[in-house]
Amino acid sequence: MNPALQSYFPLAVVIVLAVILGLTLLGLANLLGPRRPNEAKSSPFEFGSRPSGLGRDRFDVKFYLLALLFVVFDVEAVFMYPWAVSLGDLGWPSFVVMAVFGATLVVGLVYVWKKGAIDWSRE
Amino acid sequence: MPSGQDIAALLPFLLLVLGALVLMLSEVFLRSGGRGYQSGLTIAFAAAAALAVPFAPQQVLFGGQAVSDGFAGFVTMVVCAGLALSALLGRGWLETRNMERGEYYALALFGASGMVLLGMATDLLLAFIAIEVMSLAVYSLAAYPRRGQRPPEAAFKYFILGSFASAILLYGSALYYGATGSTLLSAMRGGGGALLAAGLSLILVGLAFKVAAVPFHAWTPDVYEGAPTPATAFMAAGVKAAAFAFLTRGVLAMVAGTPFAVGNELGGVLGLLAVLTMVVGNLFALPQRNVKRMLAYSSIAQAGYLLVGVIAASRPESRAQGTSAVLVYLAAYAVTVIGAFSVLAVMEKREPTPDAGSADAWDVSRFAGLASRRPWLAFAMAIFMLSLAGVPPTAGFVAKLSVFQAAAGAKAWGLVVVGVLTSIMGVYYYLRVVVAMYMQPAEMEEPAAAPPTVAIAIAVAALLVVVVGFSPEPLTAWARAALLRM
Repeated sequence: MNPALQSYFPLAVVIVLAVILGLTLLGLANLLGPRRPNEAKSSPFEFGSRPSGLGRDRFDVKFYLLALLFVVFDVEAVFMYPWAVSLGDLGWPSFVVMAVFGATLVVGLVYVWKKGAIDWSRE
Repeated sequence: MPSGQDIAALLPFLLLVLGALVLMLSEVFLRSGGRGYQSGLTIAFAAAAALAVPFAPQQVLFGGQAVSDGFAGFVTMVVCAGLALSALLGRGWLETRNMERGEYYALALFGASGMVLLGMATDLLLAFIAIEVMSLAVYSLAAYPRRGQRPPEAAFKYFILGSFASAILLYGSALYYGATGSTLLSAMRGGGGALLAAGLSLILVGLAFKVAAVPFHAWTPDVYEGAPTPATAFMAAGVKAAAFAFLTRGVLAMVAGTPFAVGNELGGVLGLLAVLTMVVGNLFALPQRNVKRMLAYSSIAQAGYLLVGVIAASRPESRAQGTSAVLVYLAAYAVTVIGAFSVLAVMEKREPTPDAGSADAWDVSRFAGLASRRPWLAFAMAIFMLSLAGVPPTAGFVAKLSVFQAAAGAKAWGLVVVGVLTSIMGVYYYLRVVVAMYMQPAEMEEPAAAPPTVAIAIAVAALLVVVVGFSPEPLTAWARAALLRM
């Protein structure tokens, strides 16, 4: 094997163990667990309340836009954690780089905002 | 950390990104302001990026992941020229359909920035990011008119198949990494074995999709036909230039390193692709009466001739000749195809969108008798058709000649024969448009006058095609000079 790949060997072990563990737990629960279904148990779980309507429902496209924006800034936050931890070593140049990165995303946010895409009351 | 040198080397790319951001903001803040500044701004940023190319220092960037050399500079120039010309075309086309918005140009600028980055990339990961930046922008451009049935259909087909191709490319990159321990193209040196061959094959599949090489071409006619004409022009010129630039770089890196590739397997696979692409592209174009679809199949056929240039570049005896032939071909094709699509845009029916009901919107009969009604427009279209067919004295002839000369230098006689024969086949369907314009009586209603910006785009493209056709030396010398700084 390529020496560069050997550092991935522990990862392969973890993946194999995770699959074995998951299958074992599911299998044991299936084998050993008692099965006494009643109406309440076999109805879909919806935060403890009685389920209403179908699982597939039309919903407003605004949710989708908001979720997309959330993902963008969530990923930005992921980038920022390692950067913030090592900022002391990296110094000001890295601050400028991250500021440019953040500003670029803010431009996108401003665009979406001014377009009215996250204006909740707008019909 | 990026130094001033790095930023100067990346300046063309950064200017295009900046332009996209400026256009996005101006769209929401200058909403009530006058329309029409968007294409002007786009052209200004494209020109600034092109002007920054000669000042970009020659250097390796991001620890070897990219390089700002003459080759990248040439590709940047072609992309910027394509962007500027298609922005001129977009101005007239979108305005007459009341769709002139900053988003169109912002997407085009983002796409161009991806293309420029792809021209510089020497690393599979960076290339993947560049391809995605380019592709996502182009998918959205295809869907831009929203109304009508064709644009969303075209965008959806392009997106699904394009994502599939990107996934294959990524899978190939993963295998490549497994075989060499690096994603750098230079890591192929000294490598070999089945894993590397498998990775390279998958990467080749992904790139063959982007350049529309047979058998990965099936998306091209529907996407080219359904997308708004200025976007089609931009993707035909830009995506092809960027993807071929990276393909050429990859092939050059491959023959520089691995012993197994030279001449045998690589030449065989690429040769098969080239022959299939030339034959199938031209054969399918033959029965097309729809001019826009015909240009799509022609774009497939042109990818075949470009592949011949890439094969010549892979042989040691014709390396420089082949690489510069690819560059010359890309420049000539970009200008010609944008010109041809500009004429098509003028001839198009002026509904809000070309929807499914107007399948005859681009029928060749619309060109009947054009020469007597719009002599200059017909003359320009004739020039573009002759250039695509490779008839002298046009840029297309210069490009085909240099590609076939390079292939002859590589002693790839089979490819030269197939190339020349299929070119002769191509003359038939290109000349059908010319025959309709000059020898058939007018049937259709009077075509609308060309908007001034579109007229400028057509005139500039036609002029470039003819000037390069008469004196090819500056262009070929520039392409050779680009290689010396590679």
